[in-house]
Amino acid sequence: MTELKTGVRPATVSVEHLEMVFTARGRRQKALEDINLTIAPGEFFVIVGPSGCGKTTLLRILQGLAHPTGGRALIGDREVTGPGIDRGFVFQQDALYPWRNVTRNVAFGLELQGITKADAAKRTQEMIELVGLTGFETYYPHELSGGMRQRVNLARALAIAPAILLMDEPFAALDALTRESMQRELLRIAAAAGTTIVFITHQIDEAILLGDRVAVFSPRPGRVREIISIDLPRPRPESVKQSPEFQAYVGHISALIG
Amino acid sequence: MEKPNQPAGSLPPVAAEADSSEVAVPRNWRGITRPLTTLVIILIGWEVIGRYVLTNPLFFAPLSEVAEAAVQLWSTGELQKHIWVSFSELMQGTFAAIVFGIAAGVGIGISQRVRDYTEIYITALYATPLVAVTPLLILWLGIGVFSKAAVVFLTAVFPILINTAAGIRSTDPLLIEVARSFCGTRSQIITKVMLPAAVPFMLTGIRLGIGRGIVGVVVGELFGARAGLGYLIFTSGQTFEVPALFVGILALAAMGVGLTFAAQLVERYALRWRRSTEMDGS
Repeated sequence: MTELKTGVRPATVSVEHLEMVFTARGRRQKALEDINLTIAPGEFFVIVGPSGCGKTTLLRILQGLAHPTGGRALIGDREVTGPGIDRGFVFQQDALYPWRNVTRNVAFGLELQGITKADAAKRTQEMIELVGLTGFETYYPHELSGGMRQRVNLARALAIAPAILLMDEPFAALDALTRESMQRELLRIAAAAGTTIVFITHQIDEAILLGDRVAVFSPRPGRVREIISIDLPRPRPESVKQSPEFQAYVGHISALIG
Repeated sequence: MEKPNQPAGSLPPVAAEADSSEVAVPRNWRGITRPLTTLVIILIGWEVIGRYVLTNPLFFAPLSEVAEAAVQLWSTGELQKHIWVSFSELMQGTFAAIVFGIAAGVGIGISQRVRDYTEIYITALYATPLVAVTPLLILWLGIGVFSKAAVVFLTAVFPILINTAAGIRSTDPLLIEVARSFCGTRSQIITKVMLPAAVPFMLTGIRLGIGRGIVGVVVGELFGARAGLGYLIFTSGQTFEVPALFVGILALAAMGVGLTFAAQLVERYALRWRRSTEMDGS
């Protein structure tokens, strides 16, 4: 397996009394209410909830793309005020630059940091190997399948060696088979990279399969219903979904979302 | 396989494509043989009409006499001079229009304030047929190359500017957000996201601009010039030299076709990242 030095130690993510209020057409809508979370370094933390529960908003706040109307988010002991290269954001599909081929998309974050092409080339190639896209370096996004595009997305986020990886429903647009193989790949890559991961999904089985802990959000306004530790041994093969323990988690979370 | 046996001057074997076409006439040849067929028909029709229908030499000339006049004008070097003058007027004006149009288009595209100050006037100028100011430009700049380059600039700059601004503004907000999340600065977002996203729009604007620019050259030369294809057409008309008049028109047509073709090559290269989009269906 590819050995990977992230260069940055995984960091704690904490959220204190976070609140987010949007005003649309003169009406105030509460998207997030009193969110409190502490995510340990290296943890795979999953947030699951119905659409409209503010989970994407929370992720954008952690990335520094949105600013909360109350409370605060911290990386380590520093408050989040804007984007930073200690965090890598994996967007949903089609967030790739169509005029850049695979290599240049993966190198994008490094390029913005002013790292020279020659220095970025080695790191970029490592990331392409890590996500299994060797041989596709010169392909443009429109020539790739949805699953491959998400691999590029992931490689681009990992290339800047983030301490924290923020993933916004990255597999939602993929078909079931591709999604399963991407989940396996992500677990392998996460183990290799050793970063803290905050992963958002609306699929309960995906949350249980991937997460060390799963936070269940209520519908608007988003609130933490419960945080559940998933005590399933790793690695977790696909067959774990048939186990009674897994099914018990599914039942419990379904009831919470209800 | 039967092509070499065809007598010279006959139509290409269009009907033969049914069975043997895959081997004998590859698909891309048809892209050449079919328009050539049309051209041959038109040229023959021209000759016939000139000889037997519109026989008054003050109004029309058969193709053979036009060809004769072209050879005559070429041998004295006069035709080359006219082509060169018109071409350099067009190139100077277009080049200036591209540089200024893209720069101003980016400025208008990225800044709401600049847009507030200028947008309505740019729209007004785009809608105005600016060839109308040609007499004024000739008064200011004389009857040399510069006045015509200025006409080309004025007619070509607005499509380029407006398309560039539209391209910048229609950049996918998600792609801008990606750059922001990777700590991109404002200038990096402009150069690495907005500009590349606007390239297809710029190329469309340039193609439109060249088309308008050719009109600008001819109109400018009609108003006042010492040389150029518009000048050739104008003076030939004044002296009833219809064959020479047609030589000027045909040379303009050839210039237009050549430039359009060159623009297509540039577009195909610059937009290679989205070629075959429709074929791949993903």
